[in-house]
Amino acid sequence: MLRLFLGLVIIFGSSTLIAATIDIAASEWGAKAGESCISCHTKASGSLVQQWQHSAHGREGVNCFDCHRAEAGDSDALEHEGEIIATIVSPQDCGRCHSKEVDEFKISSHATARLKLESYNQTPSAHQAIDQQGCASCHGSRITLSMTGLPKADSWPNNGIGRVNPDGSLGSCSACHNRHGFSKAQARDPAACSWCHSGGDSPDAEVYAASMHGTLFQSQRQQMNLNSNSWELGSDYHATPTCVTCHMGAAPGIKSSHDATMRSAWELGTPVSHKQSLVIFADGDRMEVNESESPRRGETLTKWDGTHGEVKAVATSKRRRQVMSKVCLECHGKEFTNAFMANFDSFVERYNRDYGQPAKAIIDQLYANGTLTPAPLDEPLEQSYWKLWHDYGITARHGAAMASPLHSWSEGLNRVQQQFDGSFTHELQQLVGNEQAEALLQQHAPMEIPPLGGWLSQPQPPTAAHSEAQ
Amino acid sequence: MFEFITRHLLMAAVTGGAMGVTFMVILIEFDHYTSTAEFCTVCHSMALVAEPYYQSSHYNPASGVRADCGDCHVSEGVFAATWDHLIGAKDLYKQLFGSDYDDPVVNKLHLPDAAFAARNWFAKRNSATCHRCHTPEAIVGTRPATALIHQQETEGKSCIGCHYNLVHTPVPHEKLFNRDEWNRQVEQEFGLEPGSSAKILEQGQRL
Repeated sequence: MLRLFLGLVIIFGSSTLIAATIDIAASEWGAKAGESCISCHTKASGSLVQQWQHSAHGREGVNCFDCHRAEAGDSDALEHEGEIIATIVSPQDCGRCHSKEVDEFKISSHATARLKLESYNQTPSAHQAIDQQGCASCHGSRITLSMTGLPKADSWPNNGIGRVNPDGSLGSCSACHNRHGFSKAQARDPAACSWCHSGGDSPDAEVYAASMHGTLFQSQRQQMNLNSNSWELGSDYHATPTCVTCHMGAAPGIKSSHDATMRSAWELGTPVSHKQSLVIFADGDRMEVNESESPRRGETLTKWDGTHGEVKAVATSKRRRQVMSKVCLECHGKEFTNAFMANFDSFVERYNRDYGQPAKAIIDQLYANGTLTPAPLDEPLEQSYWKLWHDYGITARHGAAMASPLHSWSEGLNRVQQQFDGSFTHELQQLVGNEQAEALLQQHAPMEIPPLGGWLSQPQPPTAAHSEAQ
Repeated sequence: MFEFITRHLLMAAVTGGAMGVTFMVILIEFDHYTSTAEFCTVCHSMALVAEPYYQSSHYNPASGVRADCGDCHVSEGVFAATWDHLIGAKDLYKQLFGSDYDDPVVNKLHLPDAAFAARNWFAKRNSATCHRCHTPEAIVGTRPATALIHQQETEGKSCIGCHYNLVHTPVPHEKLFNRDEWNRQVEQEFGLEPGSSAKILEQGQRL
């Protein structure tokens, strides 16, 4: 009897597990129309077909037509070999089977990457070629279609994570789950994220690689069980965390989620960092807001797509931090974790107070009084400022978030300081004169603390060569 | 034995024969001449349709084998060709008494109907005119897949089934065609007032 009971638990337990990830019965996929694709495409695009054949989709009999099918009314529908298909498989298409993942993704900051880009930068359409090769590669493009429904070259090919699709849905699952293998291991590998999260805007690949976590990943990769169906930290793997682990992975007491930014307490990509709250709307949508401007329940806010939504709840940065910290606890003690987070916070606050805020205040003032033209980055001071907060400032803060001293200090705050006292001050003097520059610096950046360069308290005597030159 | 061949009958036969030959020669020459782009584009409406053709690989093939209008759109054989031209004369009638097809807007609004008619014409004839130049078994392409697919994957299929939107302005497949969407795109392309296409179609011209 007990055995029967246990057996039933296992059977029902596992079927719920499957039901939780795949919504439809196996009988609903494996479309008849999809069977005839293989013969031609094995010849025309053999590697693509083989990627699919070796994938979970291929093994389970999910075929081309299951994903690429379209309705005659769809704007991007194409007739192909007598069937109606679409080139682009959007999250809405993937959601036919993977609704949980798509629902989580849909409300994440990732999904609105294109909309955000367009809201603070009016220029993408004016610089189409650069947009297509640069911005849109990560942020996603706004897909345009030819008269026959084919994606046009000004927005295609593209698998940016915030792509605006012809069906109105946002995003591209293939940004992380590369087609046509859609391998779990590939998406869990930090390399999947480094496609966008590397370089000046978001140097996370470099930061992670230089951190102890990244070092461990390199040496312990074989222990990571990357192909496992379930991937919970502590039960399915334990060697080290990856991007996925901390930002979206399952750990004891924490569910996995395709909302990858839910656990981030700080906004680290602006000139001055702020703690961020997550607004949850009545319709389930979510949006990041500056914590100091957190709305109250019941208030109406404008979303990234321009529509309005009623605030149902607000997740504070503290709450979000708690979730992230819970992941740490799987390997670290509570004190360790809390101290790490406190140090991270202090570092960001120190950056804000000594560099981000003063530089921004000076720049804002120069814009307001017309000394700087409104056109961005056309003046040397603006370029210096950009380097300060964007190139170096972001590196410093991301370095602190993920414990890479190379980036928090050497390539980060160290350079921020050099930039502030060097190029930024110099360009400011060039623009407004020494006296005015001094006054602005005094007003916004009073030096009440020992200068960062203080560790060089004993300047080296000039070398013979220098003396001669002088 | 041959007394019945009178002088008159002989003359009639010779004259008739000469007339018959002349008639056939004229017919052949007529079919030939009326199959050229030079002839077809005498009408401005056809010149518009031919614009993309001049950019296409059927006009500019690497091999230099240029396909003229009639090579694709007029059947092989003098009788069939003459018949196609007779039927095609309805285009002339429409040009003279129908909508203002010389107007690029009217032309483009009507283009899908012409495209569907042409595709059906090809399909009904099993893409016969394509086979004048193209032999499926001989198609090599630049990748091995091209030859394999044309040898192994074409049973029961006709060229036009896959290869449409090759030469003229691309038009969606008939199964997917959405008149409102087409009108909207034409309005956008020519900077027309939204919704004005339906009226233009109805009136047959722009006011």
